[in-house]
Amino acid sequence: MEKKTIDNIKLGIFVSAGLLFLVVLLYMIGKNMSLFGDTYVLKARFENAQGLVVGNNVRYSGIQSGTVKEIKIMNDTTIEVTLLVEKKMMAIIRKNAVVSIGTEGLVGNKVVNIIPRRKQAPLAEEGDILFAKRSVDADEMLQTLSQTNNDVAVIAADLKITIQRINTSNALWNLLNDKSIPENFRVSVANILAATGNAGKLVNNLNDIVMDIKNGKGSAGAILRDSSFAKNLNEAILKIKSVGDNVDSLSHEISLVVAGVRQDINSGRGPVNALLKDSAIVIKLNTSLSNIEKGTDGFNQNMEALKHNFLFRGYFRKLEKEKENELKRQAKAKAEKN
Amino acid sequence: MLLAPNLKLFLIEVGDLSRFVGHFFQQWFKPRYEVAEFFRQCYVIGYKSLPLIGLTAFIMGLVITMQLRPSMVEYGVESQLPVIVGIAIIREIGPVITALIFAGKIGSSIGAELGSMRVTEQIDAMEVSGTNPFKYLVVTRVFASVLMLPVLVLLGDAISLYGSYLGVNIRSTTSSYLFWTQIVNVLSFSDVLPAFVKSFFFGFAVGIIGCYKGYNSKKGTEGVGRSANSSVVLSSIMIFVIDLLAVQITDLLGLN
Repeated sequence: MEKKTIDNIKLGIFVSAGLLFLVVLLYMIGKNMSLFGDTYVLKARFENAQGLVVGNNVRYSGIQSGTVKEIKIMNDTTIEVTLLVEKKMMAIIRKNAVVSIGTEGLVGNKVVNIIPRRKQAPLAEEGDILFAKRSVDADEMLQTLSQTNNDVAVIAADLKITIQRINTSNALWNLLNDKSIPENFRVSVANILAATGNAGKLVNNLNDIVMDIKNGKGSAGAILRDSSFAKNLNEAILKIKSVGDNVDSLSHEISLVVAGVRQDINSGRGPVNALLKDSAIVIKLNTSLSNIEKGTDGFNQNMEALKHNFLFRGYFRKLEKEKENELKRQAKAKAEKN
Repeated sequence: MLLAPNLKLFLIEVGDLSRFVGHFFQQWFKPRYEVAEFFRQCYVIGYKSLPLIGLTAFIMGLVITMQLRPSMVEYGVESQLPVIVGIAIIREIGPVITALIFAGKIGSSIGAELGSMRVTEQIDAMEVSGTNPFKYLVVTRVFASVLMLPVLVLLGDAISLYGSYLGVNIRSTTSSYLFWTQIVNVLSFSDVLPAFVKSFFFGFAVGIIGCYKGYNSKKGTEGVGRSANSSVVLSSIMIFVIDLLAVQITDLLGLN
């Protein structure tokens, strides 16, 4: 009886140990699949699930935080992946987090990565659809790489030709081997340096001039800065303008006169025409002038005779005396002024 | 035709076995229940088998780990060694190796025990004394093996994984926590549960075949040896057949 009880106890321990292992194993697996504990659901829509299956891990910044619950085909280009995420991540995952499908290691299981972004955003809530980033497929990568390879081959071929040309070009090698070039170059650089220095001085001088002008010094300064000068200039210009206007009207009148004269000449009337065209009048005028000359000679003789006449002699002497007094007064005034 | 008599014998054997199985289920539900004998059989079949199964499981875990290591190193995935070994042990090697050892130890002992009882006419004496020998001898033993083999498989898995952990640590270093986490991370219910469920069927096959062979033992002491031998052979074959069916069924159910 005693032995039987001990045997039963041993059996109990044996069976319990076995079941305990089973329970622990199942619990750990369940915990890993986020079956226990609080979880919430997030969603993401992809174009390509890339072999993702239900039960694959979900990682937030590389930390295990849930599993893939469901993969549903929405339409021919959209696949909705439902993620079961631990509730404690609710205070961490934000609406602007990016979801992508990656691989554990190089050839491992697929994994869903939730990557946070730096910008602030409200926290993601139950059932939110997060932004899905298209991850690089290995196939696509190889295709791109193949394209790149082709491009590189073309570039390499071109480069080869270029280098061959360079190698066969005597001119270039001469240029490279010429030892005087560096020396010339150095001198050139020194010249450029000196020129730059001069340019600097020039600029300084220009600066001074500009400063002077600004301060109103010199004629240019006066032109640019003196307001009274500008006023005078304005007035002068106005006067010039009015003179010009007068000249204009004068020339108009002259032109009228000339037009009248021309008309007279052309029509053969008027005194000018007579003067210019009538030869009889010219002769008459000549005789008249010679008569006047003779007349004035006669008159001069008469006047001389009159001066010597005793009746008028007193008047002429008085006239000469007044003339002399006038000259004296003028000389006196000049001396006082000086 | 040489095949004809053998085929006839085979079909007779299958028919007898089917009737035996039907009889078992018939008797199983009927009272009275031999509880004390059932627990005694559990102790003998389960507990007493643990050292042998524990040793083989430990060695198996250690050896598989060390055998796999060179290939894993070659592919540069040495760190995945616990994962591979863990999946192999939990899904396949643990249940099958345990069941085979169980068949070798328990199948033969049941076959020999019942065979000798049949030959020495103890079973007939039981019938005369009013005890139902089928209930007392067959139902308790079969039921005990059905329930004990899964427990042995679970403990065998645990010991095997410990052996694997030591195997990993012979050449490299890994913490027990990391080792365990790595395995649990890749395991899913579809890895553990089908293996667990099929071990019930393994246990049933070993128990029922051992009992059938022993219960129907003939031709004196020579027949005892033959029934012990054939019960081990047949139950081992059945274990593999069930394994094959199990993998097909889990595949069909999409649990793989």
